[in-house]
Amino acid sequence: MSAAIVVVLAQAIAMVACLAIGHRSEPAVRVVAAGGAAVSWVAALAAAGPHVGDALASDGSYATVVTGAIPIEVALRVDALSAVMLVLATSVALAVQIYSVAYLHDDPRYPSYASIVSLFTAAMTLVVVADDLFVLLVGWEAMGICSYFLISHHWELPEARAGAVKAFLLTRMGDVGFLFGIFTLGSAAGSYRISDIEAGVASGDLHGHIVTVGALLLLCGVVGKSAQFPLHTWLPDAMPGPTPISALIHAATMVAAGVFLVARLYAVFSASQAAMTVLAIIASVTMLGAALFALAQDDLKRVLAWSTVSQLGYMFGGLAVGGYTAGIMHLLTHGAFKALLFLAAGVLAHGVGSTSLAAMGGLRRQLPVTFVTMTIGFAALAGVVPMAGFFTKDAILGAALDAAEHGGPSGTGSAWLVLVCGLLTVVVTAAYSFRAWLLVFFGKGPAGVQEGSWLMRGPLVVLAVLTAEGGVVVLAPGLLGETPRPGLVHAPIAILTTLLVLLSCALTYGEWWHLESGDPAVSLGRLRRPLAREFAVDEAYDIAFVRPVESAAALTVDTDRDVVAPYVFGSGAAAMLLGRLVRLSQTGRVQTYLTVVVLGVAAIAASAGVMAS
Amino acid sequence: MTILLLVVIGVPALGALALALAPRVGDQLAAEWGVLVSAGALAGTVVLALGFDRGDSGRMQFVTDVSWIAPINVRGHFGIDGISLPLLLLTALLSVLCFVSLLRNAPSCGGTRGLVVLLLLLETGVLGTFSALDLVLFFVFFETVLIPMWWVIADWGDPHDMPGNRRAATVFLLMTVTGSAVMLVGFLLVYAHTGTFDMVALAQRGGAGIPAVTQLVAALAIGLGLAVKTPMWPLHIWLPDAHAKAPTVGSVLLAGVLLKMGTYGFVRIWLPTVPDGVERLAPYLGAFGAIAVVYGALACLAQTDLKRLIAYSSVGHMGFVLLGISTLTTAGINGALFANVAHGLITGLLFFCVGGLKDRAGSSDFADLGRGLYERTPRLAGVVAFACVASLGLPGLAGFWGEMLSMLGAFDPGGALARGAFVTFMAVAGAGTILTAAYFLGLLRRLGQGLPSGPDLDDIRVDEVLTWSPLVALTVVFGLAPGLVLGLTNPAVQVLMGGGG
Repeated sequence: MSAAIVVVLAQAIAMVACLAIGHRSEPAVRVVAAGGAAVSWVAALAAAGPHVGDALASDGSYATVVTGAIPIEVALRVDALSAVMLVLATSVALAVQIYSVAYLHDDPRYPSYASIVSLFTAAMTLVVVADDLFVLLVGWEAMGICSYFLISHHWELPEARAGAVKAFLLTRMGDVGFLFGIFTLGSAAGSYRISDIEAGVASGDLHGHIVTVGALLLLCGVVGKSAQFPLHTWLPDAMPGPTPISALIHAATMVAAGVFLVARLYAVFSASQAAMTVLAIIASVTMLGAALFALAQDDLKRVLAWSTVSQLGYMFGGLAVGGYTAGIMHLLTHGAFKALLFLAAGVLAHGVGSTSLAAMGGLRRQLPVTFVTMTIGFAALAGVVPMAGFFTKDAILGAALDAAEHGGPSGTGSAWLVLVCGLLTVVVTAAYSFRAWLLVFFGKGPAGVQEGSWLMRGPLVVLAVLTAEGGVVVLAPGLLGETPRPGLVHAPIAILTTLLVLLSCALTYGEWWHLESGDPAVSLGRLRRPLAREFAVDEAYDIAFVRPVESAAALTVDTDRDVVAPYVFGSGAAAMLLGRLVRLSQTGRVQTYLTVVVLGVAAIAASAGVMAS
Repeated sequence: MTILLLVVIGVPALGALALALAPRVGDQLAAEWGVLVSAGALAGTVVLALGFDRGDSGRMQFVTDVSWIAPINVRGHFGIDGISLPLLLLTALLSVLCFVSLLRNAPSCGGTRGLVVLLLLLETGVLGTFSALDLVLFFVFFETVLIPMWWVIADWGDPHDMPGNRRAATVFLLMTVTGSAVMLVGFLLVYAHTGTFDMVALAQRGGAGIPAVTQLVAALAIGLGLAVKTPMWPLHIWLPDAHAKAPTVGSVLLAGVLLKMGTYGFVRIWLPTVPDGVERLAPYLGAFGAIAVVYGALACLAQTDLKRLIAYSSVGHMGFVLLGISTLTTAGINGALFANVAHGLITGLLFFCVGGLKDRAGSSDFADLGRGLYERTPRLAGVVAFACVASLGLPGLAGFWGEMLSMLGAFDPGGALARGAFVTFMAVAGAGTILTAAYFLGLLRRLGQGLPSGPDLDDIRVDEVLTWSPLVALTVVFGLAPGLVLGLTNPAVQVLMGGGG
């Protein structure tokens, strides 16, 4: 337990120290930021060690806050799930901090940036080890504000400002539901501690519609945080942030927190078939829709952003059909390959000066390290055997097949939906990954592009090794301490998806070759425009929410001026007093009059007192 | 020790008197005198807090109870419990910070001495309000605050708009005086049926002996008076002008402590004295509170003046406080009391920042302040960003816990209140938190971000660091350890609600 506290505190201290040092010494900031992340990482390994593959949890409550109702307990818990999440979060954070030293070398905003990244990691690790829902909420929302500040890092750009505000507001929209979900479950269980709520569900004290309502409300926050339909639009717009931040947000914090939460409260979610069905539907719609959007994008980072949304859909789909271990493992492998892809995209952006796919091409010779590592990353994303993503995606689809045949927590119908959408998404994912890979590294492109420094290449190589070898996690089905240990390898699914990937890549390659190194997306034809515009969901939200709020805001000002003020002033004697007073005030005798008013009040008091006595 | 409470209340008034009578005092000396006197009061309050038996914060401590106007049984009854102590500390702290800020920011129109005298009087009024345990005594202190504040706004307000200051000050005074008169009628109704003005005794009676109809009328009268002060939507109309026109120290005290006199009155007097009437009115109070959250946020979205925006934000925050009180639950009332303190710290900080900007740029209009403050004055803008984030209710900072507990109270309201209605209020208030985030982020977007433009401004100064850092520190401390305040208020609220303790 104490190691878990060190994980959080080391980052929190690094945050304060970075801010305190500021511009006085940027080298010192670099040392503190990377050092804090390293200390956290070591402590995370120490905290995780005893718990990996172990179903037992260690927990402790350190303080109690009275509220007048159910108390809030400052309670922490480390179990197998928090163990693997701690390692994932701190590893990616460490890679990002090291990479950022080079990536933001000449950035005057580096000290505040490093500080917020530290706070971000502290918040995520707090979420991971929290055993009280309010403690978890503190970390949960702190991540929201950190992502806001980091996305708006380049605040001179209008799209960075807009993207940051959008990210915060959409996630907060979900978080209001999340808070009410905490109220619902906490009041029903008589405690806000996650372990008590789980115990309540296990003993049957917590059951029926209260669990469904609570789970669905929590799901609002999850959908917001993990950018699932219908709150999915913020994540692609968060791309103006520095690229290492995208790696952090997409791989190990923020969006991962939503998946983690469902896993953390899995007992609650799986006790409600309605909630799991809703989750399965959201996941299916999101995984396929986002993959299609990714296919039509012209910006590399936007392709990667939609791919994250889509991959998160896989994880939620896996959790919804009962593939608990499969879902979490996909979160782990995705963490590795998505961090790799974003950091590699950062090298490209650094070298080319743009993230537009049109500005790239033929870069395989100039950027050999990036080419090899990013190829591994794309292969993992597409689910090419034997990369990490292949095995974990296979495990999810296998779980969906199981649930479709034998029933699962979300029911068979929704399991079929997850399975079918999952297989379709395999095809689309392979297509957009292959397309992006071709457009970046083949064909014609810019000359004189330089590879990043070793500080940038180092994390790429480490992550590439993890991505290539990470698939072996499926050989350890007991990693999360789940019993009975689920079989994670499904040969029929594996063969089917491999064929689908081959088919999809062949079609994409054919189109590319046919167009003489042109963009295969043109073959989408009339579908391309609506997909690139992402089905105009943003425009619809604008009409449905933003504009009405703006009108209402203007209306309140008018109401105050034309309705409330005259109504208040115009009521009865007050109006007469005021009228006279305003006239008097213009003759400068207002003080006299006010004295009279106050004395009058006192006189009323006195006479009323005499009457009453 | 019991005399110490009276000393704390009296010191600022005596200091004001001495300063008023002293011949030929310069501006600087007057401000220094203000710092000295208010620091004395703060020191006294801290000693009170240290001597306060925190294990028994539901009991009135440092009690003085002497006869004052015997024929109508008015008593000089003072004392503090866990409900009043945090507000007393907040008042003493904000007063000192205001005087420290006057050291370097003498009003451009001069007359620091007069301003210091008025602010000291005001401090006594507020401290007295929070310690009075007799309705008449409470009323006297409550009214004492008004006249100094009228002068502060009218004579030391926005130097570019003297007629506007007058108008704002007068509207403020008239509305609150009218409200107070109505409140006094309510007090007298209570007295007519109980024969006592003693707040502790009245709370213990719990409305016994007052007929239901009278309770309703008294609750309405007292509630209206307090609602004007708080202010409750739609009686808030005096607030934006008063805050926007007042000098920085005036805005800080107005938002930081004066508004709390209304909400404190709700908790201390309204709830326990006429509970039957309260129970019938509570749903309306809750509804007005929830509307205020949304209405205040919408109004903020449309503001073009920074100071007015912060002023309007108080309407929404006070909406949360009223919602918490209206739930008639211990959690909701604890939340209201916590939100009081948090709002005092955070909005006090915001008004200090905005005041600093207004002094520098000569205006608080967004158009005049320019953009890109993150680059032009990075440290000052950092504090503004911190205060905005705290004010929008981020968990982990002080602004969150009070609002959360208010909504938690509404989730499961007390007494015979209709749950459906209160859950609706909770949902409306929840939607309001999204709008609140929207306007604060909008503020940062317009002011902090964007390509730098606008007048040359200095970054944060040493005196500003001194005055602002206690507020920043306490916002973090109470955000991470809300139990520091809740542990004090909870036993007292339980006594008040008759839940033992």
